[in-house]
Amino acid sequence: MINKTIHLKSPHIDEIQIGHGKDLVLIAGPCAIESRDHSMKMADMIGSVCDKLGVRWIFKACYDKDCRSSPSSFHGLGLEEGLKILADVREAHGVPVTSDFSDPSWGSATGEVCDMVQVPAYLCRQTSMLRAAAATGKPVHLKKGQFMSPWNMKNSCRKLETFGNDQILLTERGTFFGYNMLVNDMRCFPIMQETGYPVCYDATHSIQLPTSMGNISGGQREFIPHLTRAAAACGIEALFMEVHDDPPSAMSDANTVLDFKYLELVLAQAKAMHEMRSELRAKWGEDCVHPE
Amino acid sequence: MQNGEKTVSIQSDRDLKVADVMLPIDMAPLADESTILKDVLEAMDRHRLGVVCIVDQKKHLTGILTEGDVRRKLLHVQKPFAALLADDAIIHAVRSPISITADVQLIDALDLMGEKKIWDLPVVDGDTRVIGLLHLHQAIRGVLDTLQQSKNSL
Repeated sequence: MINKTIHLKSPHIDEIQIGHGKDLVLIAGPCAIESRDHSMKMADMIGSVCDKLGVRWIFKACYDKDCRSSPSSFHGLGLEEGLKILADVREAHGVPVTSDFSDPSWGSATGEVCDMVQVPAYLCRQTSMLRAAAATGKPVHLKKGQFMSPWNMKNSCRKLETFGNDQILLTERGTFFGYNMLVNDMRCFPIMQETGYPVCYDATHSIQLPTSMGNISGGQREFIPHLTRAAAACGIEALFMEVHDDPPSAMSDANTVLDFKYLELVLAQAKAMHEMRSELRAKWGEDCVHPE
Repeated sequence: MQNGEKTVSIQSDRDLKVADVMLPIDMAPLADESTILKDVLEAMDRHRLGVVCIVDQKKHLTGILTEGDVRRKLLHVQKPFAALLADDAIIHAVRSPISITADVQLIDALDLMGEKKIWDLPVVDGDTRVIGLLHLHQAIRGVLDTLQQSKNSL
C-alpha cells in the first residue's frame, strides 16, 4: 500500500496537504450557508482560532441541504447564491472552501468555485455522483455512508479512480446502530487507511441521532471531545466539524453543531493527540501486532 | 517408481519443452494488482484452476495467489468475510513467486514442481513478463504422451 497525499489549492498561500505524516487539517464551518454576513463572520472566527493554534483549515458550508428530514426545514441559499458567497469567503479570508453537492448536475459549478468537493454520506456509492465529483478535477471528500462498512468504501474509491480522480479524503461520520442512532467504530480509521487514502473524522455528525426528533435530527454533542480525542489517537489526517456561533439558532443541524466557544478546546486537544500519535509512531513504528 | 523407469522417462521426453504444454496466456488466470480477492476467486473458478498470477500493468509477474494461500488466510485472519473479499488480492499473495521460462525442458520443470510441492508454475519471458502457465496435469499428460509414443515406436 502506498500512502497518498491530497493537495488543495489555497488562495494567496501555499497549498494544503492532507496525508500520512502531515499536520492535522481542520475542515470547519456552519452546516449551511445562512447568509453572506454569517459566512464571513464564521470564517473570521474559525480562522482566528486556527491561526492561534497553527492549524491549516478549509472553510466548509453547504449551499443546498438536500437530505433534510422535513420539507419545511431550511434547504439552503441555492447553487448560484451559495457559490458566490463561498467564492467571496475564499477571497476575503484566503482560505480554501468546500461544499457538498447532492445532484450530479451541480458538480461542475461546485468544482469551479470550491477547492475540494464533498460527496454526501447518503450518496457515497452513487456512480453518477462519483463521476461528477471526479470530473471536477478537485480533491474529493468522500464521506462513509452510515450504512456502509469501512472496507466496502474501497468500491467507491475505485469508481473515483476509474473516473480519473485519485485525490480522495475518506471520512468516518458514524455508522447506524439500529434506528436513529449512530456509533463510531474506531476500526474504521485503520481499515479505510488500508486504501492508502488519508482519513478524516467528522466529529459533529458522528454524535447525531438521525431523525430522532420526529422530523429533525437530535444529537449528543457532549461526546464531541471524547470521540475526537479517540479518533485522533487512532490516527486521522483531518478533522471535520460543523461550528456555529449560536447553535440554537443554527438553520441546519442545530442539535449537533459545535458551539464556537468550544472550538479551541476541541481543536487544541485534537492537534495535541495527533502530534502525540506522530511521536509514538516515530518511536514505536507502525501498528502491527500480528504474529509473523 | 524404480530408478530404471525414471531414467527411461527422462530420456523419452528430453525434447519436450515447457512451451509445448503450457497454458497460453489467454487461458491462464491473470489479475492486476488492484483486483479484489472476490474477483480473483471467481477467475480461479472460471479457469478451473487453483491459482492466479498477479501482474503489473506491463504483465510483469508480481505475485501468485493460490487456493491454499486463501485457505491459510481464512484460518488466521479473523476478518469479516466481506472485508476479506474486498481486499486487494495482492495483499494475500506470495510476492516474488517461483517461475520458469518457456525454453526449459519439461522434465526439469516437473522436477522443480515436485521439489517445491506446487501444482502450477507461471511461465515468464526474459523480462519476467507472464506468457503462460504450466499446470501439473498438462505437464504429466505431455510426459505420458511422449512415453506412449516412445513405446509405440519400439
